[in-house]
Amino acid sequence: MSADIDTLPGYTSGNGTGHIVRWLAGFALRGGSLLAFAALLVFFSVAAPFFFTLGNIGNVLGQSAILGVLAIGLTIVIIGGGANVVKGGIDLSLAANLGLSAAVYATLVSAGYGDGVAIAGALLTGSLIGLVNAIAIVVFGIVPLLATLAVMNVVAGLELVLTQNTVVSASSDFLSLLSAYGPFDIPVLAYVLVIFTGIAAAIIQFTPLGLRLYAVGAFPEAARAAGLPVKRMVAGSYVASGFCGGVAGILSVSYLSGSTTGAGEMLLPVVVTALLSVVFSRRLVPTIGGTLLSTLLVGFLTNGFQLLNISSTLVSGIQGILILLVVAATSLQRGKGAA
Amino acid sequence: MSENRDSGPAIGRRNLLKAGLAAGATIAVANAGLLGGAGSAAAAEEEIPSLKGKRIAISATGTDHHFDLTAYNAQIDEVKKLGGEPIAVDAQRNDTKLVSQLQTLIAQRPDALVQLLGTLTVVDPWLKRAKDAKIPVFTIDVGTPNSLNNTTSDNWRIGSDLALQLVSDIGGAGNIVVFNGFYGVVPCAIRYDQLKAVIKYYPDVKIIEPELRDVIPNTVQDAFSQITAILNKYPEKGSIKAIWSAWDIPQLGATQALVAAGRTEISTYGVDGSPEVLQLVRDPNSPAAGNAAQQPEEIGRTAIRNVARYLAGQKLPRETYVPALIANKKNIEEVTKTLRLG
Repeated sequence: MSADIDTLPGYTSGNGTGHIVRWLAGFALRGGSLLAFAALLVFFSVAAPFFFTLGNIGNVLGQSAILGVLAIGLTIVIIGGGANVVKGGIDLSLAANLGLSAAVYATLVSAGYGDGVAIAGALLTGSLIGLVNAIAIVVFGIVPLLATLAVMNVVAGLELVLTQNTVVSASSDFLSLLSAYGPFDIPVLAYVLVIFTGIAAAIIQFTPLGLRLYAVGAFPEAARAAGLPVKRMVAGSYVASGFCGGVAGILSVSYLSGSTTGAGEMLLPVVVTALLSVVFSRRLVPTIGGTLLSTLLVGFLTNGFQLLNISSTLVSGIQGILILLVVAATSLQRGKGAA
Repeated sequence: MSENRDSGPAIGRRNLLKAGLAAGATIAVANAGLLGGAGSAAAAEEEIPSLKGKRIAISATGTDHHFDLTAYNAQIDEVKKLGGEPIAVDAQRNDTKLVSQLQTLIAQRPDALVQLLGTLTVVDPWLKRAKDAKIPVFTIDVGTPNSLNNTTSDNWRIGSDLALQLVSDIGGAGNIVVFNGFYGVVPCAIRYDQLKAVIKYYPDVKIIEPELRDVIPNTVQDAFSQITAILNKYPEKGSIKAIWSAWDIPQLGATQALVAAGRTEISTYGVDGSPEVLQLVRDPNSPAAGNAAQQPEEIGRTAIRNVARYLAGQKLPRETYVPALIANKKNIEEVTKTLRLG
């Protein structure tokens, strides 16, 4: 737990050079990441004039919607379970959840059910997966990393059973509405991402519930002593994450005009995005706003590379380097090596 | 086929094609070999209009397979050769990425967009959007009303010729195992439907149910384990006569599984002419018995030439068929020579 407590900079008592190194690392991360993001936007805008247009920015927002919603789910789990990558909160089943929820939605629609039933089906599927995770972790006490890994495999298997590993195409009024363009010729999905982020941020950052979730994740002992229902809060974070998986599933069906195979490939980008989110917060903790920024960073990188005609395979390499930098800097900043 | 014969004097590459035609005539299955359609690949001597100053968007579903990679690179090279600027993106077989890239490409307003393969229901809404945005849309192996011209092998001929080769090899009777995981991809669906159409008239040929689902990625390993499992279910020699797949990467895994299990009496059939599979067809002891070899380089080049022709105001046929060759144990040498793989 000590590592978790150390995540709050300024609370640690360091001495001499160690303290300075930590402070510098923290400052470089916080200021540097925003500066780097801004520099990136400026660079792409100059190099590819089309980059900084309303239409393109809207497209990037829309293209980031699925990843963003999933990453917000994971962020909630990380907030509630603590940011320790090994022992803390993590939900590896999110990408598979997206796949199964999308498959449920597409199968229901193609079986002739209405949008209402399909939406309920997808959201219920997602939340149920979250509930299974919650039970495995809170009731049976399995480490989240392993529990959600196991659930991920079960869910991916269920998707295969349901779809026979084929593409299930689906079209409905609601799906067409989601995949259409809204005001200012910006994709509806872009509005969905902004509104979804807004609601999640309002709950997590500005309500007592959200504050308690941070307390439970960062100081579980203190939270328990203060009378907070730690187990229920942690369980709730996994159900919320599962719900996000269901929402992302619906968005994915609208984006791809059906459910397709290969949802599992989303896992790594989701984890990367949620982990990156800490560099966009003042106290280097995961936040919903930070997650939106890191989602957009990945989205703008991919988009800018495409506009500059640079191979998009480089994006994954850059993501890897970013993760290394973040982990290295947060480790330094926690003072592991220096103290 | 008719155009190849009727049009002017042949040079270079076309002579090779004619060699392929001669080779094709000698093989067991009637009509196999050089396939051509009404709008067969145009002659090389024709003047191709320049693409100078034109930005041509090239969207590939993936490049992890010999066919895709060769067709993709051939398109990029041809755009450059004709003086245009290619904007090429590869979705690495990730549908979400494919759609994002298409969306951005449409927003970039290129002078033309060429889509290489893809699941129809996934790409079609976006091809329609491109068309609605007044971007001329071309496709390779994607049959859709939203594309001005589709360059493809004649998949009806590929499907029926490969099926006829299979049926003739197994003597018109026996159980066959079928990989049918990509019925949503139009060329695969056509080839599968043609297989069904052929075996309809051979009542003793039976497809083992349930059909197998080939997957991407890990296609080879997956096909290997699926075939190993089904061989255990049908342990008697002769209980399975052949294995069919709509492309040839599952064929690769299936062939390896047959060799590993010592069941080389079973023959495998596939489509695309991937070099590693043609190598197996060449090996007299390998169960790989037939492969419809497409000409991905020619297909990619032809698609871009069609773009150039269209932008120069010429009329295009709805479909442009590029000949494919059915390779078997007897004609494999000629086929590889024709494909310049030898």
